[in-house]
Amino acid sequence: MSWRLGTPRVLVVDLDGSAASAVRARTGSMVAYEGEVTFKHAGSGGGGGLRAAFKQRLTGESLPLVEVSGRGSVHFAVDAGNVLLLDLAGQVLKAESESLLCLSEGLRTDVVFSGLQGASSGQGLFTTSVTGHGRVALISMGGPPIALRVAPGTPLVVDPDAYVGALGDVRQSFVTDVSWRNLLGESSGEAFSLRFEGQGTVFIQPEERR
Amino acid sequence: MTFTTVTSKVVLAQVAPGREVLARRGAMLAVTGRVTFSPVAGGPGGGAYGGGLAASLARGVQGEAVALMVAEGSGAVHYGFHGHHVTVIELDGSRPLSVEADRLLAHDASLSSSVVFLGQQGGLRGAVRGAVTGQGMFTTQLSGRGSVAVLSHGGTFALPVSGGRQVVVDPQAYVAHEGDLRVDVAAAVSWRDAVGRGSGEAVQLRVSGEGTVHVQASEEKL
Repeated sequence: MSWRLGTPRVLVVDLDGSAASAVRARTGSMVAYEGEVTFKHAGSGGGGGLRAAFKQRLTGESLPLVEVSGRGSVHFAVDAGNVLLLDLAGQVLKAESESLLCLSEGLRTDVVFSGLQGASSGQGLFTTSVTGHGRVALISMGGPPIALRVAPGTPLVVDPDAYVGALGDVRQSFVTDVSWRNLLGESSGEAFSLRFEGQGTVFIQPEERR
Repeated sequence: MTFTTVTSKVVLAQVAPGREVLARRGAMLAVTGRVTFSPVAGGPGGGAYGGGLAASLARGVQGEAVALMVAEGSGAVHYGFHGHHVTVIELDGSRPLSVEADRLLAHDASLSSSVVFLGQQGGLRGAVRGAVTGQGMFTTQLSGRGSVAVLSHGGTFALPVSGGRQVVVDPQAYVAHEGDLRVDVAAAVSWRDAVGRGSGEAVQLRVSGEGTVHVQASEEKL
């Protein structure tokens, strides 16, 4: 399995024909490939099985993925977003499904409950969790992602529209703060923000989702 | 080396007598020195810059037209357009560059440009390709020695193509190609899953021959 960045905005995956080099990627993210490569719809559960499919249908946290396998190299990119590569060694990655670009074989995805107020932020009440050993590529819109540390005693508050994902043992909660409305200066809706506590890293993107 | 990159989205062009630069209208950001700008009749290849009457006539008919300005005199001009990424491609004269007119930011006036009917290249299939991929039936071809600045969404990367190395490109991500390449439209059943956004037709561009294809990091048109 070989992953590299062709440019800061292009992920290149070299497939050697083995089952271990196969990846699951976001539908429509392939921009070019060479070699003998097959693209197969990963199923309505994004490859997570029937239970995942059911949960996604139920929760609206959809994860449209294609299984990419074969021999050759494939270039992935989404809307000129910057690619963030992460290695997972048993940690839990929570990510917005629309920020997920590519997952290596052997990682499991699931839909997890992320808090009651999620509905108001337009992200649904659920988020996608990725577990196992392997590599993940996330997409950060508007420029390179920013990694922010969360440690006990130093909680972190981020704009839900800029939130990409969180790595490690972090708990997520929603905060309503009237003063945030003025700060964000965005949308006429409720001014919600995401609060993280625990130990880990939170990734945000420079461009807010609309 | 007419163009030097200032940022990923801005290039600086050196203009001197005999080294004029043609650029898309509205792309000039700043200018130093004594440089004058004047419109070029008929878009790429029009007026005194090659192509001739036939080319400008053809252009009027098919809409492969973007108004160009010529920068003359001596000085330096900054070019950029709508915040799009700019890629500078050097042509050594051995192979032409094919690019859509609306992706062309600027190029050396010494390059000769012509409008190519896609049907000439690959017969009916070429024309079908243009129609299917929404690129139109015509493309701009630049040949000679010089530099070209090409616009893209998210920057480009170059993929070499040779006899034994076929490359398949998403039509929405295709930007330009250098050399004698054959670009065919192919439909694939499983492709539907990999390409396009939602209901788009499942098509792919199969590039073969000898040359280089330039692909952008996005599936958005300019």
